[in-house]
Amino acid sequence: MSRLKRSWIVLVNVGLMAAILVFVVLYSNRERTENYEHQVEHFVNTTVAMERVTGNYLEGEQGICDNWAQYINSQDLTLEEAAAYVRATHAQANTSAHLIDAETLEGFSTRPKLNSGDDYGVSYQRMGLIGDGAWISDLGTAINISRTYTNPINGEQSLAFCNRITVRDAETGEKRPAYLLRIVPTSKLAEKWVFPQAEYAHEEFSMIDAEGNYIIRGRSFKNSGFFEYYKSYNQPGVAAQQELFADILSGTGSFLMQDSRGRERIVAHTPITSTKGWVLLSTAPVSDLNANTVDWLLVGVVTAGLLLLLATDFLYMLSFNKKLRATAREAESANKAKTDFLSTMSHDIRTPMNAIIGLTTIAEKNPDDREAVKESLRKISLASNHLLTLINDILDISKVESGKLSLSPLTFSIVETVENLVNLSQPMIKEKNIHFNFRINRMEKEYLYADQLRLNQIYINILSNAIKYTEPGGQVSVDLREEESEKEGCVQLIYRVSDTGIGMTPEFMEKMFEPFSRQTDSRVNSIQGTGLGLAITKQMVELMNGTIECQSEPGKGTTFTITLDIPIAEKQLEEMRFDAVDALIADDDPILLDTAADTLESLGIRAERANSGREALEMIRRRHETGKDYDVVILDWKMPDMDGFETTRLIRAEVGAGIPILLISAYDWSDIEDQAKEAGASGFISKPLFRSRLYDKIHELFGTEAKSVEPEDNYADLAGLNILVAEDNDINWEIISAMLGMFGITSERAENGRICVEKMAEAREGSYELIFMDIQMPEMNGLDATRQIRRLENNKWASSIPIIAMTADAFSENIAECLAAGMNGHIAKPVDMKLVIKEIRRIKEEKRK
Amino acid sequence: MRKMLCVILAALLAVVPTVCMTRAQAESAGGFQPRLDPNTSCQISVIGSYSNFEALEAEFDRFNEFYPDVELSYTKPDDYNKLLGTVLEGNDAPNIFFSYQWMCGNENYQQVCDHMEDLSDPQLGLDLDCLRPGLLNREADGQLLMVPIFARNYGMLVNNDLFAKEGLQVPTTWEELLAVCEAFRGKGYASPMMGYSADASGCLMNTLVYPETVAALAGDSEALQKANEMDPSAGEYLRAGLESMMQLIGNGSINLEKCGEISDNYTQVILRFFEGDVPMMICTGDTVSGTGKRESQSEAFSKAPFTYSFAPIPLSEAGGYFIDSPSIQFSVNKTCDNLDMTNEFMRFLISRQELNRIASVKRLVTPTTDLSFDAVYAPFGQVPAERILSPEVIGITDSLATQIRNAAYQVGTGAITIEEAVSKYGSF
Repeated sequence: MSRLKRSWIVLVNVGLMAAILVFVVLYSNRERTENYEHQVEHFVNTTVAMERVTGNYLEGEQGICDNWAQYINSQDLTLEEAAAYVRATHAQANTSAHLIDAETLEGFSTRPKLNSGDDYGVSYQRMGLIGDGAWISDLGTAINISRTYTNPINGEQSLAFCNRITVRDAETGEKRPAYLLRIVPTSKLAEKWVFPQAEYAHEEFSMIDAEGNYIIRGRSFKNSGFFEYYKSYNQPGVAAQQELFADILSGTGSFLMQDSRGRERIVAHTPITSTKGWVLLSTAPVSDLNANTVDWLLVGVVTAGLLLLLATDFLYMLSFNKKLRATAREAESANKAKTDFLSTMSHDIRTPMNAIIGLTTIAEKNPDDREAVKESLRKISLASNHLLTLINDILDISKVESGKLSLSPLTFSIVETVENLVNLSQPMIKEKNIHFNFRINRMEKEYLYADQLRLNQIYINILSNAIKYTEPGGQVSVDLREEESEKEGCVQLIYRVSDTGIGMTPEFMEKMFEPFSRQTDSRVNSIQGTGLGLAITKQMVELMNGTIECQSEPGKGTTFTITLDIPIAEKQLEEMRFDAVDALIADDDPILLDTAADTLESLGIRAERANSGREALEMIRRRHETGKDYDVVILDWKMPDMDGFETTRLIRAEVGAGIPILLISAYDWSDIEDQAKEAGASGFISKPLFRSRLYDKIHELFGTEAKSVEPEDNYADLAGLNILVAEDNDINWEIISAMLGMFGITSERAENGRICVEKMAEAREGSYELIFMDIQMPEMNGLDATRQIRRLENNKWASSIPIIAMTADAFSENIAECLAAGMNGHIAKPVDMKLVIKEIRRIKEEKRK
Repeated sequence: MRKMLCVILAALLAVVPTVCMTRAQAESAGGFQPRLDPNTSCQISVIGSYSNFEALEAEFDRFNEFYPDVELSYTKPDDYNKLLGTVLEGNDAPNIFFSYQWMCGNENYQQVCDHMEDLSDPQLGLDLDCLRPGLLNREADGQLLMVPIFARNYGMLVNNDLFAKEGLQVPTTWEELLAVCEAFRGKGYASPMMGYSADASGCLMNTLVYPETVAALAGDSEALQKANEMDPSAGEYLRAGLESMMQLIGNGSINLEKCGEISDNYTQVILRFFEGDVPMMICTGDTVSGTGKRESQSEAFSKAPFTYSFAPIPLSEAGGYFIDSPSIQFSVNKTCDNLDMTNEFMRFLISRQELNRIASVKRLVTPTTDLSFDAVYAPFGQVPAERILSPEVIGITDSLATQIRNAAYQVGTGAITIEEAVSKYGSF
């Protein structure tokens, strides 16, 4: 994913997250705003309600004052008498009344001056409170309240409910205007204004007059008047101030303002209707009203959740991108590997092909030179074999890489496997004059249950590599031993191949299991190989749940160790025992001598041991003299002082031909067969000496067939067979026809599938033993032809004739396709005649059954 | 990016708690340390003659940072001087009240003085050392019944922009003053110097005459004694000041008719000055304290703001005087409720930091020893020490001050002549 796309995805994620958060916050804010507006409305309504309470209270207080005034006016009282009357009628301790002459602004108080005893005189001359009294309405028409002022009698901040009254002049007896002031301390008034605390914790009431002066001042308000206070901490401009103040005085409403601490407060105002210009103010911090309906926990959790989601997505995306990049790299690498593979394959195929074509040309140009032709043909054969090996390996690696390589376990003999291994390696060992040593240790279970073909392939690959990369005169050692397996019913086979070859560098070891990797060395540049062996081997070992390990050092050699847990076959050899058989075994290798003796004894044979040919001869001589010859003598071919031939020859010379003599050889004995027979040897046995092999060989010597032997060299059973070959290619037809002819088998050709079907439809019953069917043919391919043959009704013989695919389509799916079409077997081109013969015999055998 | 985000978050985690330390916590680390339970809940009231005292109310707010549940209030009772005694005896008796030096020794105020706590008590912890000694008025027995909150001085508000516009320098000597006034008159200014003249209290006449008279008495103890004793012969010490005043009035530097349009000695003086056409406005520092708040209330100033300062009036060749006397003093009502918390508030307030702060807010001269003037008062910072006079230190009594004020007002308004004023000293 490009960086740009990733940025876009991150941006989109962040954008979505921001959008969700914005929505949550906006929604919460809208809720908060609505709630705030509702609370403001409620707050204003509460203020209005408090105004009514206040109005009622003020009216009540004014009513008392009115009653006093009415009484005073109705009686002809002097100012002092009126004061005495009021003093006598009002009972509230914290209130008082002042009766003031309107002209002199002096008069009497109902309470005496503080600390003065009985001084009831009071003056309002310096107070500036009453003025000309014009602001005092007529009796009973309005509430006449003064501003807050200092009660000159007791110094308390107080309010005065006022009335104009008429009193009698004590001296002249004339009526005089006077004022009646019912004085209530503001502290008393404040006590009556208490907001419901549960609802508003920090709200306060204040009352101001028309000039903004406080009648009652809430604790948060400062200055002498509210308007001054407002101006001190809020500067909206002169015009705006005046407009606001006019609003406050004229009606009910609310506004926001800064208090002296810079906090925002809401102020609700409503005129006290029963007064002249008084306004009730209630205030509270906006934070109290503005109940935070934004659930910040929710916002926080949503934010955290979204951030987590974003981070997770981002990390996942990074991880995913990393995997994608890795996959892309792998794909690129695989693509490159494929290209390299094809390139290498092309090279590796062209190399032997070049040899084949070139040598064929040379042979064609020298048809009369038999030796040259023979040499060319020999080399062509070698190149062809290499080419075939390469193609087989490619097939294998293709199967491995496609995951289609499956194991076909069957019961097999590990003895045969080892023999096969030794046999296969002998030509190269001899050719390179390599010192070869194959040790078997504790092979107690001969019959195992596994895919013998793949096991062989594994062992051969490792061993052939060791031989291939070991210089002439070097050494290759193989150790095969059986250990107890942790898996129930299995044995653990440990196969270790050590060589003194060129070894490998650590760098190469890291990639040695990759296809087409070969260790290069000036000494082995000429080494031929597909470079696929180790890759296949490793895959197969892993397929068999085994391990492959390697230690190597350049110039010193390599050791491969393969460990496999292989199930033990249920069927083991029947009890192999001889009765009363004396044997002598001679070998200069004491380990091998002991091992062989033990093996013989496990077969019930009394085995005596000789460390050399000379000692063996002496022991045989002594036995012969006593008339108790050994029943069998087993001699190692290569012994230092007297080899196996010489010893055999001397035995025959001294004791005759009565004693069977087996020669032990680690190598292919074909080269020494004649010499051995000439010396008098009865037979050969290969190292390592397996118990079963010894049993079989000794049985042979005693004239007992231990097992059935395939009539490999007798092809009389095949003579006279007639086979129909569907083959469009003339050369291929010629080759198969000729090769079958070598075994006495006749053949007929069908040039394509259609002809093949026609021939079968027309043929007499028993005309053909079977059909070899090419697949890719013109007009009708082999698969369709097979299907049609199988559908030949009314001709049971024809429809059931064995059909063997003979094709270059050698992949497993091709084989499966052939079988699905109704064929009975598959032989890959180029054809191995041994396989062909084997297949023919199998068909014959099945028919016989 | 994630790494950067982590670093930012970690930094925020480290920084936020630091930033969130309360102001009180931060200041208590190096300043005021509460002695009482911070959760104490009580009320403290302060009464005084100021209609508004926002600077003090700002201190209330600051004190509340240490004692959030202490409710502080400021009230101006009616007829303050007369009713103070009654208020102190009543149910609304304040914790702290404005007090004046003239109260002590005046039998009418004995009741008031009896309520005053001795603030020199070391137990109270007031930082008296931060105050200028000349502003502390101790009783004969050593008691300190009141402490200064502000200092008063006399001078003139100078419209610096107007001087600059007319190409004139602010005068620093008597000759320069006369020349500047003449120059302004020549440029059409009807009254280069103005001030409040409607009554004796706070009138421009007193502001002109008082410093000269105090200076005349400063070095003459015999004359001072006569003056304090209302000896008519002491009237001569007023003459120089009165003559200077009359010369300014007489030569048209002060147009009393124009001055008569100013209806009060505070707000209207300021607003008139803010009209922008008055080069020099004679007033006291108390008036200057109201300028800051009224800048926004003056439409003229808002439309055409200018720079201004408060300078000594150069009534002599050597320049003007810095009359350093207490303006507002606080006394503690020793019979009040919550006396401990009241003293705690006084301990909080009487400190260099708080007094400078409240003076700065009020735009008055601080009573502390570091004369860190407001920029408006910068010219007073240049007055040499020998011309800084403290009437309380010199021994100017309130009666003497009243004689000067009344004599100056009556001479200035033409009610009497200078000769009459000199001869009638002691009878004003």
